[in-house]
Amino acid sequence: MGPFFTSGDEFSYVIALIIGIGFGFVLESGGFSTSKKLAGVFYGYDFTVIRVFFTAAITAAIGLFYFDYLGWVDFSALYINKFFIGSSIVGGLIMGLGFVIGGYCPGTSACAVGIGKIDAMIYLAGVIIGAMIFDLFYPLYGSFYKSGNMGASSIYELLGMSKELFLLIFVVFAAVTFYFTTGLQHKITKKMNKKNEQ
Amino acid sequence: MEEVKQSKKRYILVSVIFILLALLLFLLPEKYDLKQKQVWELLRELNSNTRFVTTDYVAQKIINKEPAYKLIDVRNENDFKTFSLPGAINIPIKNILDKDKKGKYKYEDILKNDENTINIFYSNGTIYANQTLLILSRMNYKNNYVMKGGLNKWFETIINPRKPQKTAAESKHILYRNRKAYSIFFTGGGVQSETSPETPSQTPKVAPKKESPKEDEGGC
Repeated sequence: MGPFFTSGDEFSYVIALIIGIGFGFVLESGGFSTSKKLAGVFYGYDFTVIRVFFTAAITAAIGLFYFDYLGWVDFSALYINKFFIGSSIVGGLIMGLGFVIGGYCPGTSACAVGIGKIDAMIYLAGVIIGAMIFDLFYPLYGSFYKSGNMGASSIYELLGMSKELFLLIFVVFAAVTFYFTTGLQHKITKKMNKKNEQ
Repeated sequence: MEEVKQSKKRYILVSVIFILLALLLFLLPEKYDLKQKQVWELLRELNSNTRFVTTDYVAQKIINKEPAYKLIDVRNENDFKTFSLPGAINIPIKNILDKDKKGKYKYEDILKNDENTINIFYSNGTIYANQTLLILSRMNYKNNYVMKGGLNKWFETIINPRKPQKTAAESKHILYRNRKAYSIFFTGGGVQSETSPETPSQTPKVAPKKESPKEDEGGC
């Protein structure tokens, strides 16, 4: 089964638009257009982001593995981005810093712009300016950006285990995270409420 | 507090479902390849003799150094080290379906052919090479052939060819002359004794007279 459309197919833009609208709708419904909710993960009063991302990851992974098993998706034909270890670490730090300061990530900021949030509009303008600056000074760090290329590697390959075993460990880890973050969130919210009352 | 308990309960339920799904995936037997060939189609292919090539055909390929073929020895590694045909690759039949860590068939790049290349499999007789072909045919790998009679036939026809009787047809004499030339090429000298599989092939010294494959027995 599939691919239904290739990347060169013009109709793929229409598909992208439909998926994008659905994705935006779900993000907004889940409260992901609120910077307070998003930033909550860094302050410990709201771990929804972690739980949502874990749920999304394991749902997609389990679905994909079952599809592969049934022969509906050719797992080996999937495109996997190359892994540049240095730029991934530095990029992750910058992204995290932007997330904690601004209260959005690039996707959720676009979602919040959709419902007319002014802070998100300014954030998104910052994203665009940041991208332009990155492009302008690219020759300065271009070699670092492309260094440490580990190819299209998967974590289960690097750990030397089967993808099914890794998935099982990952799902158990996600379940443990669900359990503990719920309790932790309750404790921190309680403390914050007490402080506010005082 | 009640809300937290409710939330925890929900996450426990979701977690249990996810863990069970992942566990099932882990315990499932190895993936069945749905792209495999239908049984009747496979049987039809097995009943036809088009999968065989002769030892003469293989000898010519080696001597002419043709690039568009791969000679694959499906015997075990020790047998391969003791004796093999020039340029042969060793893939023991028990390893033919080995996979790498990514789950891809380890020898896929060697075994899969494009339109212009062919694989010729051989073993001591015909059985193991035939079994290999059966496996690969089921997996829809194309352009695979078996050297009929295997190495036993190779020694019988190429290394130690038997002289035809004087009254035999002219074509038999031509075939014998060709095979004598092949023998010189592969042994580097005179005709070898019957029990020579321990001796690896020698560097070619004399190029044989090239004849059309049609004059030999069969072909691919």
